[in-house]
Amino acid sequence: MDDFQTAEETTFVVDEVSSIIKESVDAAIGGSTYQHSRVNQWSSSVVENCLGQLTKLGKPFKYIVTCIIMQKNGAGLQTATSCFWDNTTDGSCTVRWENKSMYCIVSVFGLAI
Amino acid sequence: MPGFDPALELQRGSSISTVSYIDEPGQHDENPRPAVQMENTYQLGPVKRFPVLTVNNILKDVLTSYLQEEKYEAELCRQMTKTISEVIKARVKELMIPRYKLIVLIGIGQLSEQNNLRIASRCLWDPSSDTFASYAFKNSSLFAVANVYAVYFE
Repeated sequence: MDDFQTAEETTFVVDEVSSIIKESVDAAIGGSTYQHSRVNQWSSSVVENCLGQLTKLGKPFKYIVTCIIMQKNGAGLQTATSCFWDNTTDGSCTVRWENKSMYCIVSVFGLAI
Repeated sequence: MPGFDPALELQRGSSISTVSYIDEPGQHDENPRPAVQMENTYQLGPVKRFPVLTVNNILKDVLTSYLQEEKYEAELCRQMTKTISEVIKARVKELMIPRYKLIVLIGIGQLSEQNNLRIASRCLWDPSSDTFASYAFKNSSLFAVANVYAVYFE
């Protein structure tokens, strides 16, 4: 099968993805204060925004977007990820965002098809 | 030891965002492999499906055995998350499911009376061949969440 795509279009570009994530998070929860009843809706909208923007890039990738929203309360949280994939074409990007009342950690994993 | 590169720090009014990604050192630099030409296998779907229930049990075993008696401590849990994610990845690899790429995500957090946390994820993939397994564990001072995503590689 002929490969018509150039290298830029088949590797995961971290900078582009990270700016997409930041915009999505700002748009969804930008100036809000933590409210337990709305967290569900916020996390769904952050993730859906991200995924929508990522698909618009039109790259041959499968995406996994994870969002963790936590209230600022003095409690600690550790996260780790370990991935088994093709280093030359796949990648991930994690953005840690905070405001006065909560933390939001968004991870995007892109796997080439 | 993986290096940690905070790439950007932005401050915009009352919110701060940091971008970080971990790159295994030396993977991209040493011996750049020539582009591999893959032949067509004419295979339309996965021959062997990803066994979600088996993996759920693996997650339950690993989390319970590592964390049953532990208390939340920042340094210990930092090491623990890294170790657990490597262990889970190794055990799922042992299952030898061909042509699946794996992503293992572990979160360990402290339980306090008012702790509120939501973890959500959405995926853009092919639901007939790709899937995930997940398990949440709790003891008196901490909680742990493990997610394994399996994506079929054509």
